[in-house]
Formats: sequence, structure tokens, C-alpha cells
Amino acid sequence: MSAAPGLRFFKSIALRLLYGVVSLLFIAFVTFLAGELAPGDAALARVGEKATHEAYLAARHELGLDLPWPQRFVKYVADASHGDLGQSWFGTREPVGQIIGRAFPVTARVALLAIALATLVGVFLGSVAAVNENRAMDKAALSISTLGVTVPNFVLGPLLVLFFAEWNTWLPINYEPEMSRPLWIYLVIPVVIMSARPMATLARLTRASMIDTLRMEFVKLAVAKGVPPWRLYTTHALRNAVLPVVTAMGTSFGFLLTGSFIVERFYSMPGIGFYTIDAIQKRDTPLILGTVLVTGAMFVVVNLIVDIVQPLIDPRIRESQV
Amino acid sequence: MRGKWLLAIALAFLALVVLFAVFGPNFRHGYLDATGQPFLAPNGDFWLGTDEQGRDIMSRLGFGARMSLLVGVTVQLISLVVGTVVGVLGVFAPVWIRVPLLRLTDGMFAFPDILLAILIIGVFGMGLFPVIVALSITAWPSVARLVKTQVASLKDREFFVASQALGAPTPYLVFKHVLPHLWGILLAVSMVDVAGTILAESSLSFLGIGIQAPDPSWGNMINQARLYMNSNPMVLLWPCLILSMTVFALNFVGDELRSLADPRSR
Repeated sequence: MSAAPGLRFFKSIALRLLYGVVSLLFIAFVTFLAGELAPGDAALARVGEKATHEAYLAARHELGLDLPWPQRFVKYVADASHGDLGQSWFGTREPVGQIIGRAFPVTARVALLAIALATLVGVFLGSVAAVNENRAMDKAALSISTLGVTVPNFVLGPLLVLFFAEWNTWLPINYEPEMSRPLWIYLVIPVVIMSARPMATLARLTRASMIDTLRMEFVKLAVAKGVPPWRLYTTHALRNAVLPVVTAMGTSFGFLLTGSFIVERFYSMPGIGFYTIDAIQKRDTPLILGTVLVTGAMFVVVNLIVDIVQPLIDPRIRESQV
Repeated sequence: MRGKWLLAIALAFLALVVLFAVFGPNFRHGYLDATGQPFLAPNGDFWLGTDEQGRDIMSRLGFGARMSLLVGVTVQLISLVVGTVVGVLGVFAPVWIRVPLLRLTDGMFAFPDILLAILIIGVFGMGLFPVIVALSITAWPSVARLVKTQVASLKDREFFVASQALGAPTPYLVFKHVLPHLWGILLAVSMVDVAGTILAESSLSFLGIGIQAPDPSWGNMINQARLYMNSNPMVLLWPCLILSMTVFALNFVGDELRSLADPRSR
């Protein structure tokens, strides 16, 4: 048991990295394929409708559209890997990479705050429910989380705006951070809406895994030793119950993403989701493909980090890995 | 006993939604008819009032129910067929078919559903048909994964091994000894999946890339009503209410069916 487990651990990390790279290539291939199938012509979009046939052919050659598709795919991956995702077909033909660079911080800030809030509130609600299993507190916490799972965020969003921004003017009705009020006040509604679904999921998970943990022998021993309840719950039980929660962070990414599309749409926030929907409505193919590729890559990276962090938190996983 | 009553209520509600989808869109008023009387309060003629163009909200909710059920059921049927075929082939097919199929199924999970749906709609355009295609493509892998694990465990049961030892051909085994065991769990999962599909369709329509105006769907009705919600909150409330209740009822019935199909999960 000396060096072997460590070696195995690194081997499993190497395997996961490899799997991550394969996933990234798969996502790149799907967006590439979508680009091939999409109507519209990048060369025509570049030279305009009135260009001569020679100019059009020159543009095709310059963009590499006359190469066979495997070569085009290699070029696509090579370009994408240093941030060249083509140009938007409309407006000032801004490079897609630049648009994403501008939109990404807006989305990322809200997403990170939302996952932080969801974790804090979700783990707290779940723990309170587990400690009071089947009592009124438990029922209340469960009802809140059921509500979070079943009420879609595009229902919750308008209702929150209606109550907090229209009927009472505590919060702004749109995202306009250049206005006079402090920045955080524009983030309240987006963060709350985006955190609702992951919060509910995390609360349920924490409850279930904490109830299991509280029944284990070492907890009984701790009670017998006379460990005070608050210490028992925080250091003994919660620490062991937190693992499924880390796993859920990876899968919560999908919910966060859906949430960000919805929130950015109705709160007029210029993030990734906002630009993606705008691009679909204008049929701006390079921008659609670019945002999907970048978001898909983020998803792979987040799951990779979760996969690598898990065994660091829990020695049981570290030992059992092949 | 209390659970059975709730189940009956949820089923009755779902039956009403189906009736509403069939007859609702042209019940008393057409769902596209502008009456010229915007924002009427609920009254004897317009039971739920009218929207910003004076159209009957109840008829429009009925058409929304029709769209939601149409998308939900079609997508579920497609993903059940594809998922079952892939899941069964994933266990019984020769290696050169089985392995690529399973890798493809796993690969589909590398994409968040909403992202793949948005990519497909971005490429093929907006509207009812692209929404059905996009959501079908995102829905089948989870069915395939479920069917595959179920089939893999059935394959080792005595009745299967016995029949196999007697020389029964694989297709006979699949239809006689495998598929009949799957209907219960697939029906239960379908209820929950249909709820998920209805939510996805509503999200896309809310974002303006799903069902296109003037045709109503619950999602785009919510998006429209948002603009007038300060003065006319009821217009916003109706689609929110019927959508949430339908999704809740489907999830509830699905969970109950699952515990009936698999008593151990209680």
C-alpha cells in the first residue's frame, strides 16, 4: 500500500485528462459539423452579394473552404485553440472571440455568485432538514426545495421582477449597471433566479447524504463521547456528507446554463446567453457556433475539475480507483 | 391511502389538460381571433379575460396545451424507440456495432441538453419542427442508458439463461423475455421525461426561438405577458399556473408509477 495507490491516482488523473480532451474534440466536431450543415456561406458573407466570381473564389481559398473536410476540421480546431472563432456576419463584423471575451465575464460573475449562494443555502437547508428528519422543519425545507425544482426559472423570474421591481421599487427592472445605483443591486435578481434550481437539488442531496451519515457508527460514538450537537453536525456529519454535493456541482452546470439564458434574456444582461439567442434570431452562424463551442468547453472543464477534486476530498474514492 | 387520492387528482388534472388541448383552442373563441377588446378582466364571455391584442386567453392556453403535449409526446415516442433500439443493441449487437453506439451515447452526455438544442435550432431555424428535432436528439441518450442497464441485468436472470440454453434465437429472447419487463419502468420514466420536455419547449419559446408568434405556447405567452405585467398581472399568471401544475402533475404521476413498477424503490 505504499507507492502503488499514489501511482494509480496519477494514472486515473491522466485518464480523466485524456477523456476530457476527447470530449472537447467531440464538442468541436459537433459544432464543426453544424457549421457545415448550416445554411449560408462564410465566403459570400465576407465579400458581399455583388462581388465578382473571382473575388468570391479568392475569399473561399483564403478561408480554407476549398480544402477537404478533414483538413478544414484540423484548421478549425487549430484556429479555435488560439481564440480565432471567425467573424460575425452582421454589424461591424466583429470577431466572435472578441464578443465572447466581452460577454463571458458578465455571465461568469453571475454564475459564480449563484453557485456560491446555492451551495450556502442548499447545504444549510439540507442539513437543517436532516437534523430534524420528518419534523416540521424538515417538511418546510423540503417544500422550499420542491418548489425550486418544479417552478421553472422563466416563471420565477418575471414573478420576482413583478413583486420586487414593479410593485415595490426595491430592485431595478433591468440590468443597467452604468446607472446610478451600486452594481450589486443589479445582480440580486439574476443571482437568485440562477441559484434556485441548483439550490433545491443541493438541499435534497445534502439532506439524503446527511441522514445516511448521522446513522453511522462514528456519529454514535461521537454522541457517546459527549460531543456537543452543533460540533457534531458541522465537523463530523457535514464533512462526510459534502462529497455528493461536490459531484452535484458538476451536473448543476447544465441548470446554471439554462438559467443564464433565461435570466440574460429577460433582464437584458449582455452575457453569453443573450448573444447566443440574438445570433440565432439573426441567423449569425459563426457567433452561434462560437458561443456553443466555448460553453461546451467550459462544461467539460468544470466536470474535469470535479472529477479531479473528488478523490482529493475523499480518500475512499482515491483508494478504489483503478 | 392519501397517496392514492393525490394520484387520482393528478391523473384527472392531466386528463383535463388533454381534453383542453383537443377542444380548448377553438372553444367559444378562436385562439388567433383579435376581438378589439384588450385586457378584459375574466367575465362570462371570456372566462380568463383577453390579452394585449384582445385575444381570448383561455383559447390561447388551450393551443399552448396542444403544442406542449404535441412536442412532449412526439419527442418521448421518438426517444423511446431510438433509446430502446440503441439500449438493446448496446447489449446484444456484435462488438463493431455495440462499442461505437455506446461511445456515441456517452459522448452525447458531454453536451448540456440546452446547448445542443440551441445549436440544432441555430442551424436549422426556429419553430415547432426544429424544436421537436432538437429535443428528440437530446432526449434519447438517457433512455438508451436506462434500457441498457436494465437489459444487461435481465440477461443474467434464470428464465433468460434457460431459454437461451434451449437454443432460442436472440430476437425471440429480446421480444419475449426482455422488452415485456421494461414497459413499467419506461412508462414511469416517460412521465417525468415528458415534463422535462415540456419545460424545455417552454424555455425555448420563452427565449423566442421555439414556437413562433402569432401561435401561442405557454412559454411565449409568459414572455409576451411580461411586458404588461405591471398593469395586468393576471395575463402573466394564467400560463405560469397551468405550466407549473402540468409539470408538477406529470412528475408526481411518474414518481408514483415508478414505485408501483419497482416496489423496492419505496
